[in-house]
Amino acid sequence: MASTKGVLVDITRCIGCESCVVACRLYNGLEPGQKNRGKTKQNGNTELAPDKWTAVQGYRVDKDGNKVRRFVKKQCLHCLEPACASACFARALQKTPEGPVVYNEKLCVGCRYCMIACPFGILRFEWDKPFPRVLKCQMCLARVADNQMPACASVCPTGAVTFGERDKIVEEAKKRQASNPNLYVSQIYGLKEAGGTSWLYLSDVAFDKLGFRTDVPEKPIPEYTWQVLRWTPHIFIGWGALLTGMYLYTKRRAAVHAEEEMYAPVDVDEK
Amino acid sequence: MEDSKRGIEQENINQEKKEMTRRSFLKMIAGTGLLVGLSGALAGCVEKSPEHAGGKGWLPYQYNVAGNLPAQVRGRVPIDADNPSITRDDQKCILCGQCLEVCKNVESVYGYYDLPVVDETICINCGQCSMACPSGAISERDDTKKVFEALADKDKFVLVQTAPATRVALGEEFGLPPGTWVQGQQVAALRRLGFNAVLDTNFAADLTIMEEATELIKRIKGEVKKPLPQFTSCSPGWIKFCEYFYPELIPNISSCKSPQQMFGALAKTYYARARGIDPENIVSVSVMPCTAKKFEAQRPEMNASAKYWKRGNLRDVDVVLTTRELARMLKEKQIDLTALPEENYDKLMGEETGGAVIFGATGGVMEAAARTAYFLITGQEPPALFLNLTPVRGLAGVKEAAAEIPGVGTLRVAVSHGMANGRKILNAVREGKAPWHFVEFMTCPGGCIAGGGQPRTAVPPSDTVREQRLAALYKADASLSKRKSYENEEVAALYRDFLGHPMSELAEELLHTEYHSRADRLKRILAQAV
Repeated sequence: MASTKGVLVDITRCIGCESCVVACRLYNGLEPGQKNRGKTKQNGNTELAPDKWTAVQGYRVDKDGNKVRRFVKKQCLHCLEPACASACFARALQKTPEGPVVYNEKLCVGCRYCMIACPFGILRFEWDKPFPRVLKCQMCLARVADNQMPACASVCPTGAVTFGERDKIVEEAKKRQASNPNLYVSQIYGLKEAGGTSWLYLSDVAFDKLGFRTDVPEKPIPEYTWQVLRWTPHIFIGWGALLTGMYLYTKRRAAVHAEEEMYAPVDVDEK
Repeated sequence: MEDSKRGIEQENINQEKKEMTRRSFLKMIAGTGLLVGLSGALAGCVEKSPEHAGGKGWLPYQYNVAGNLPAQVRGRVPIDADNPSITRDDQKCILCGQCLEVCKNVESVYGYYDLPVVDETICINCGQCSMACPSGAISERDDTKKVFEALADKDKFVLVQTAPATRVALGEEFGLPPGTWVQGQQVAALRRLGFNAVLDTNFAADLTIMEEATELIKRIKGEVKKPLPQFTSCSPGWIKFCEYFYPELIPNISSCKSPQQMFGALAKTYYARARGIDPENIVSVSVMPCTAKKFEAQRPEMNASAKYWKRGNLRDVDVVLTTRELARMLKEKQIDLTALPEENYDKLMGEETGGAVIFGATGGVMEAAARTAYFLITGQEPPALFLNLTPVRGLAGVKEAAAEIPGVGTLRVAVSHGMANGRKILNAVREGKAPWHFVEFMTCPGGCIAGGGQPRTAVPPSDTVREQRLAALYKADASLSKRKSYENEEVAALYRDFLGHPMSELAEELLHTEYHSRADRLKRILAQAV
């Protein structure tokens, strides 16, 4: 896991130019449909879509009594232990050693368990296609495997998106917090959420005000299923043993009963 | 004989066929099945698929394809969805970074404020990014539909004013060389579009000079308690720039509105009264070389006519079109500008002087103001130097000039265009090292002739085109019989019939304004190296 790559998004450095969104579209050849081009969310923000793997959402929030505007780049967080991949029995979603969690449409059966499993609600289903896919950010695997930045990070004009080894990215985030304690909130989003993610966020405003899910458990989601599933062999064998025992017991009881009948004293009254 | 032989053979065959028993049939079927299965399995082994489901190899095969990201990507400037001046088309953007280049190095806006952003996307609405954008992804906000609707409405009186700089650039949209003088054709084209009155911003430019020169003299004499140097206020991008980055210097800005807004205020008061039109039926349109004018017209305080008539819903300027939008409207209506005869502006607010014409050039406002200031102070015609104030002409970033005015002394002036050049002057003023009385700031390099709404004849805009447009303006100035703003008879009539005198109470109400600090919208970097 040492070579797992990561990306740090520093919300304080984002100016909302959406260069990353265009870069994502250009690199991945996504041609957004007309209906997905506009603003879709109620607060005027663009939402993720099958043809929009990353979006920049603006939030007006209170900070120290003043209204401030913050932009949040949204995309798949690429969990270290992805729930979507663990939920996918077709292995269409997989965690790569480089870090990205990627999707292979040729293996996908379209069950959408992954969408239910994802704690961040990232995956998007092509509802209007005859052979729909489940789509999300691939973290530009080919580039990352080649030790290049993802397309979005490579165009950010302000350096709000930084790419590197995840360990070093975490160090960098902590360094920024330490050098500017008045600016940042203490949390690094993605450090522990769902067992840690490859994408990390720094902010100067509490994350729950910026549309982040803060109720995500710190334990990796697949561990919850494992807690139940690990009893499977025990239950399987135990249930067999129980039934066998009961079978043997009833059989024995029946045998004893028959024997008792056989050797019971003859009814004296009849004679 | 042969027939019987054939019959026996046939019988033999039939007998052989009959010998195909159920057992042999099943054997045959099973054998064939086995053969097919075996060959299929073997074929499967021979055909080595590049993808192995779930294996280690499949991912790079799927995604290791050449991406469509251009080789050189540098991002872009942020543009709000509700920016009144410019819009962008994500489908066209190639992230080349030209807009960033202009915004940072020419206008010194992007990168000159500290992050995180406060509550606003910092933009001075100058539109220079749209001039530099090679793919046309950034463009002016299209307001042509509003104008077409107003023109189609028979109840509305649609009047239009045209800025000094459009008449040396509009022709480029119709294939004419840069700097072609198309003033007369432009008037004719606007009449063909159906405007009820075609008027000239140059009238308001002359009026601006009267007000601004008067204000300058009052500042120099100490009659107005405001600091020197006085800054010009015609370029709305510069005004917003100053409100963002140099709020402490706002008192230096002349309180005069820009010519567009002076014209707008008079259109719904002076013009409406003189022509007997209900101001609410007037739709005031302006054709400008500038995208920031769209923002300026929307400033909440730009409703002097509403205050004058005490009717809340009036705006001084209703719609601002750029030169490019006007060209688009003409093309849509298939009006060939080049084939039109030259026509004159309508009366009452349509006269111009050379001083107004050169408003479109960097240094032009300064030169025109100097001519009138000389006259207002001395009561004499300005000497030849004032008619050709060459030190303030041309495309040098910061220009200085000094001219003797009898009875006052030396008038020191400075001129800058492009806000990165403006910063040099502003920093000097902030440090108290400014020897000037009057400073002209233009947001766009070269002045309005290369404004953010002008034809994109060269991308990125080149100095060659700028020089040709500038030369056309100065040529027109030199050829006019009246070259000084105080000679404008319609302006004189306006003062005589309506305003009284420059900076009168009514003039203050209609033609002057206030500016407000926007420093709370950003975190200023005061020690930014220029």
